[in-house]
Amino acid sequence: MTPAPASLAAEPSAAPARRDVFLYVLRRFGVYLFTLWAAITVAFFIFRLVPGDPMNILLGNLTRVEGRQRDAEAQEAIIAHYRQIFGMDEPLPLQYVNYLRKAVLGGLDLGPSFVEYPAQTKDLVFRRMPWTIGIFTTSVLLAWLVGTGLGALIGWLQRSRLSQLAVVISTLLQITPVYLVALGLIIYVGYTWRILPAGGPYARHLQPEWTWEFISSLLTHAILPMLSNMIVIGAGFTLGMRALMISVLGEDYLTFARAKGLTPFTVLKDYAFRNALIPQVTALAIIVGATLNGTFIIEVLFQLPGLGTLFVQAMGLRDFNTMQAVVLFSIFAVLTLTLIVDLALPLLDPRIRRTA
Amino acid sequence: MRNRSIIIGAIMLALMIIVALAGPSVVDQLLFPGERPGMRGSYRPYQLDSAAHPIGTDGDGRDGLMVFVSSIWPSLQIGVIAGATSTGLGVVIGFLAGYARGRLDTLSRILIDMVLVIPTLPLLLMLAAYIERWDLYKLSLILGLFGWSFVARVIRPQVQSLRERSYVDLAVLSGENPLEIVFLELLPPLLPYIGYVFSLSIVGSMLAEAGLQIIGLGAGGLPTLGFMIAKGFRESVIAIGLLGQMLLPAGALIYVFLALNLINTGLDEVFNPRLKTTIEGGD
Repeated sequence: MTPAPASLAAEPSAAPARRDVFLYVLRRFGVYLFTLWAAITVAFFIFRLVPGDPMNILLGNLTRVEGRQRDAEAQEAIIAHYRQIFGMDEPLPLQYVNYLRKAVLGGLDLGPSFVEYPAQTKDLVFRRMPWTIGIFTTSVLLAWLVGTGLGALIGWLQRSRLSQLAVVISTLLQITPVYLVALGLIIYVGYTWRILPAGGPYARHLQPEWTWEFISSLLTHAILPMLSNMIVIGAGFTLGMRALMISVLGEDYLTFARAKGLTPFTVLKDYAFRNALIPQVTALAIIVGATLNGTFIIEVLFQLPGLGTLFVQAMGLRDFNTMQAVVLFSIFAVLTLTLIVDLALPLLDPRIRRTA
Repeated sequence: MRNRSIIIGAIMLALMIIVALAGPSVVDQLLFPGERPGMRGSYRPYQLDSAAHPIGTDGDGRDGLMVFVSSIWPSLQIGVIAGATSTGLGVVIGFLAGYARGRLDTLSRILIDMVLVIPTLPLLLMLAAYIERWDLYKLSLILGLFGWSFVARVIRPQVQSLRERSYVDLAVLSGENPLEIVFLELLPPLLPYIGYVFSLSIVGSMLAEAGLQIIGLGAGGLPTLGFMIAKGFRESVIAIGLLGQMLLPAGALIYVFLALNLINTGLDEVFNPRLKTTIEGGD
């Protein structure tokens, strides 16, 4: 982004503008904290209030592993023991307070995993998080950049044949579910044509280390999962930006800019593109949640060790603490990414600084 | 010209509905008179494409084509029921939020934004873990309950912008009560837009349902297109050579999405040529 049109915000003095920005940031951060708290609360109660006692399932697992039945009394004792360990012998409101207290003051202590006890769910999540966040942010950002650029161009050249063709293609790609794109890539690029690896985080014989061989293996394995995400989201951004661009092109100030004798490129860059960009950044904030859903599915399909696969595994074992931790961390990630986008908005749009 | 995309979309959708409704009995009567093509174990499993079985047989010994045509209707049903649920909820909440002012407005905006950003998939999956016996309606309702925030999010600014129009001021001055204003002044001009959102919600619900199936945690046993794709992927039917059993359900899903998308584009163009700018403008 160019700093030039910042003069549009021509304030009487710089100080009030700075205070407004500060207030906007403060307010937005307050909303963020509130939303985070509310989301944690909702997730906590959903997990507690749905029917089915995780302890019985845990006991069932234990029985299966050991291959022998215990008498009822011993079972009761085991359940009581586990309830105490997991803090489930207390009344629900107290559990909730404890949960919040541990999560906030105890350094994100979300309790131990039911299945991999005594491993902390926090550690399980942190181990998996880089995969999800890596695939997710890289593909979303790349898709946004490519889509926004392409969309602006197609919108600007709306009458040319090529851009009409691009609209048709992007529409088709946009409506294709991300997992079908992923399946298609896995089946054709991965297995039929064998161009790129389509499963696992890196080649099986390698160990994670800072060698060129490992890093290149990691990157080639990441191409298809990221591409699946990028194709679908990128097509959406392209269409969105095109529509924005076309609506901006009808505005009077563009006619005026052209009449002033500015070059088409300057008009495109500083007048059309910049004005179309703001809703496009808002759109980025809105799709973050949906895209995370898609990324979870992609991880499962490509067998990447991210949060999505962790969740699916935990679900298979009915490891409720781990499931809850994954849900909380994904909520946290989505909220934080949305916050970052929202805080970037006033940099782009001087109007928000004042109205916020 | 302007109506073309609605007409094409509607025809495409109608064709699919006909296939979904009539397909199973047509396939049954024409191709397999006196047999039970949809029963497990009727045939030898994984037979390749042949005159008797145009897209082969599946892993359970059923005719692939029969499985395909009988999967379409449940998928569509889930889309419509879940779409209607989320659109209904979202419109009510969006109107409340858009019509309210002051603190209530701020509060409702925070609530909508909050639900909007919560990643629904893990929550859905979690519910899927608890619910023992799935049926189509349960699944659709739950999908619908998770989809309303998007609808509310886009309806609210629409209501807010309409609320400020002078004809609404006029209605207020001439003594209409808030209910009359909502139902007589605000709702009618938004109907095409609500139709548009409804169709988007159908797409979203069908998408989510198939997604759940594909990661293997959906309502197992519900014969939907997503289930067929998921089953095909797990049993690597492509490697066996049964391309049709993957491509047909995937193609059918994309076809339905395309039809709905065409209808959407048309609705957008015909009823409200300027809507696009106000929607995207948001708040």
